[in-house]
Amino acid sequence: MGLSRYIAMRVVWAVVVSLVIATVTFLLLSFAPNPAIQEAATQAALEGGDPAEAKERVKELRGLDEPLHVRYVDFLRNVYTFNLGWSDMRSQPVTEALTEALFYTAQYSIPWTVLTMILGPLVGLYSAANMYSWRDHAATGFAFIGYALPNFFFAIILLLLFGVWLEWIPVIYNTDVGVFTWANVKQLILPVFVLVTGGIAGTMRVSRNESAEYLNADFMKTAKAKGVSPARAYLYHVMRPTLVPLSTTLVGQLLAIFIGSSLLVEVVFGIPGLGRLTYQAVVAQDTNLVLGSTMIFTFIAVVGNLLEDLVFTVLDPRINFDDR
Amino acid sequence: MRDVHNRDGDGHKGLSRRQWLGMLGVSGAAGLAGCLGGDGEGDATTTGGDGDDGTTEDQGIDQDEEVEELPEVSGTYDTVTSASFETLNPLYNTESGAGTAIGRALDMGYTFDSNNEYFPLLYDMESENGKVWTFTVREGLEFSDPYGEVTADSFVYQIQELHQSDWANTADTQPWAGVTVEKTGDYEFTAELQSASLLWPESYDPLLYPIPKDLVQPYVEEEDVEGLQQDEELLNLEFTGNLGAFVLDEWERSAGTTYSRNENYYMQDVEDAPDLFEGAPYFEGASISVVEEQSSRLGALETGEADAAGIPPERFQEFQEKDSVSVNKVPQPYNQIISVNMRDNGWNAGPGNLFTYKEFRQGMACAISKEDLIEGVYRGLADTHYTWQPRFSRFYPGDDSLETYGVGDLYGSEVARSRVQEALDASEYDYRFDGDTLVNPSGDQVTLDIYHSAGQETSRLTCEFIAQELGDNLGIDVQVEAIDGVKFSNEYWSAEVPDEPVEAEDVDGEWAVAPSNPGPRSVHAEEDWDMSMVFGLNTYPLNPLTASVFFDGPDTFYNPVGYYPEFDAEALWQEAREATSQDALQEVLNEIFVELNREQPYIMMLFSDDLVGYNPDLLGPIENFQNGWDLPTWHFEE
Repeated sequence: MGLSRYIAMRVVWAVVVSLVIATVTFLLLSFAPNPAIQEAATQAALEGGDPAEAKERVKELRGLDEPLHVRYVDFLRNVYTFNLGWSDMRSQPVTEALTEALFYTAQYSIPWTVLTMILGPLVGLYSAANMYSWRDHAATGFAFIGYALPNFFFAIILLLLFGVWLEWIPVIYNTDVGVFTWANVKQLILPVFVLVTGGIAGTMRVSRNESAEYLNADFMKTAKAKGVSPARAYLYHVMRPTLVPLSTTLVGQLLAIFIGSSLLVEVVFGIPGLGRLTYQAVVAQDTNLVLGSTMIFTFIAVVGNLLEDLVFTVLDPRINFDDR
Repeated sequence: MRDVHNRDGDGHKGLSRRQWLGMLGVSGAAGLAGCLGGDGEGDATTTGGDGDDGTTEDQGIDQDEEVEELPEVSGTYDTVTSASFETLNPLYNTESGAGTAIGRALDMGYTFDSNNEYFPLLYDMESENGKVWTFTVREGLEFSDPYGEVTADSFVYQIQELHQSDWANTADTQPWAGVTVEKTGDYEFTAELQSASLLWPESYDPLLYPIPKDLVQPYVEEEDVEGLQQDEELLNLEFTGNLGAFVLDEWERSAGTTYSRNENYYMQDVEDAPDLFEGAPYFEGASISVVEEQSSRLGALETGEADAAGIPPERFQEFQEKDSVSVNKVPQPYNQIISVNMRDNGWNAGPGNLFTYKEFRQGMACAISKEDLIEGVYRGLADTHYTWQPRFSRFYPGDDSLETYGVGDLYGSEVARSRVQEALDASEYDYRFDGDTLVNPSGDQVTLDIYHSAGQETSRLTCEFIAQELGDNLGIDVQVEAIDGVKFSNEYWSAEVPDEPVEAEDVDGEWAVAPSNPGPRSVHAEEDWDMSMVFGLNTYPLNPLTASVFFDGPDTFYNPVGYYPEFDAEALWQEAREATSQDALQEVLNEIFVELNREQPYIMMLFSDDLVGYNPDLLGPIENFQNGWDLPTWHFEE
């Protein structure tokens, strides 16, 4: 099978997967008890009204009185035409809610993703180059402390230290500051730091072990014998083969660059991003918003998997699609 | 139009959405501090005055004092809240937090001052008999262009075409049901109630936002409820003109709201208002930031990024010692009670149900030292609770009229046992004291469970203290259990509403079925439980008539515990509703609250204080339940 046929098959498969996920999400929400309906029934009873009538009224207002298959078809049509409806939880269109949240998430998601992708392999390479020395132990220790400390707890401690005691950074996130301003950098330093320290450990360990394999490989001995500088030797001759197995992780991270949100970090630092939005939508059973945000994550994941496979061929030309 | 008052031929049993939402409090002061969300102002729908003059604290402003020089406008008043706002559309908001956000930019009809006196904002209300009320709209109130002046028509149209319509389903639908409204002048209209209500303003039912007629008219003509709910001008408060102290600049959905000073605030020109309103407001702007994490909110308060935030009781001492924060203790009307389950799924210690005997409930109340509980668990930040009114209410009958269970002579093993013994004698089952232990007919020690909200430390400690006291003084083995509040509400507290009302042999009349009172004691929630401290309830100190929803007979709307009054509650509540003078009302309410004290339908324990931290340079906050009524006059010390 050629590359083009493989891609075509994967695209079809992506559509099927997204349809399945959308359907499952729709069904789960349809069968979950709706607090708004329960609340209306209780309220009607307290007012001396008819709870059953109140339930019907709310269902009618929210379009839930239609048969399931009619709602499902409506839902699919809306999803594929990007008409995601109105968010009752935020009193604004779902697309607007998602765009707003994405804007704030991207501001910390991009730096932490880029830094994690760069620092992880580099720290791993550094560890491998100094294997079993104190430098190796220090780098490994640094990565694992960040990994072991729960982000939520670490974030609070840092906020307390740098925000409350030292007053170097603001405690309340300010949405009014410009994206490329010093004020924004100050308020995003800690969230980015917490996420980077929490994220590099895995990449660093894989990178360290993979790098170790190539440090004494024949081509490295040849390169050194030919007088290649250590920087070029490590970054070009060692790092490149190391990145092949790492690409699974790295490309995945790169794709999530705009949506790499962290609910807990957003909660602690008060960032109005995608993590909080999705969580609140689920808790409030804001159907349109839950489905809208689910579709974004689904789309990115499906396309991401496709791109990830393609990247293998770029990094390692030996991989082909003939057998697939 | 749905007329709930006509439906049962009895104008008392309806409970407005606003009252209903304010009815339930999560047990534990920490929970309440969290609910307060740190905006530092009382919730007008659930708070009441304490009768103090409100000027005893360092930060308070004496509004009766003549002002020689108005304060300078400076700084911004920045607060934090724990939850984002669902809507800022005044017609549809039912949340307290969003109400505060709307209130920055749009006044409501009236408020109550620190002396608990009616204070007119947009309109004054008067009535001779409590049945026909005359509203006089203040002149000089202006909407933003192009909507012109606020007149009686603005309110009458809103009431008749929206709140009393059968399509708009606004938040104020219930309060205006059955009220006949008539415009009697450019700035005057009347409202005739189905039955007299001397405390109508105190019920907050006649409280309205001003809404431009021309803005809503297209939706009214089309009966377009979706359009009305989603209207941008309503959602972003773009019509507020001179009607609020600030102008809403931006509502960032998950981040909060920002405001700038309204130069033309109408209260500046009101002659009979306190002098300080003349230059109000005294902040250049304001903001409400949504900060979900409590430690972040407290951090913001400490660094001065926020000027007000709620403080959990366990950190009260710590913040009291800080120079950068001034802490106020604000009394509130939510109580801490032991709910004892008198339904058939309660009392799982043997046959029968001893909770149904008032003497047993009195004995329980005598077995628990309220003062030790307040000192030991609440660090002294609470007040004893004897009847369904806090001590600061003008309807509190006074300690002399009440049995002060759990305090002084009415605390201890002996007095508790004597009361319980009366219940044992009345019971058809052979419960008895075996030495120090209360045993059931099988001879086993009586074992009961008590539930508290999971994660609420104060609530847990309270339950453990109660378990210890009931063990020491009554020989009852009490098991303390933690439970999620939502789970408790759905599976233990509320029951499935039967399709047809269930008749009870020993109770007259038909049951008004509701999840919180599904029928007689034989109808109950699916799970068994004995005692609970998961929920506290509102005692409605401003308008105690609302509390009838808990005690107006066995078939009242809110009776999850299955309490049947042993006094003629329905007649007394009816008498209170029909009272035509304040004295008569006071007398009958006092009688009711004395009876409730004797009956202990819920074992009443205490009222904990709300704790609010403020910027110490801020002048205005008071340790009074109407804290925040004069927010436009608050200012920073120069």
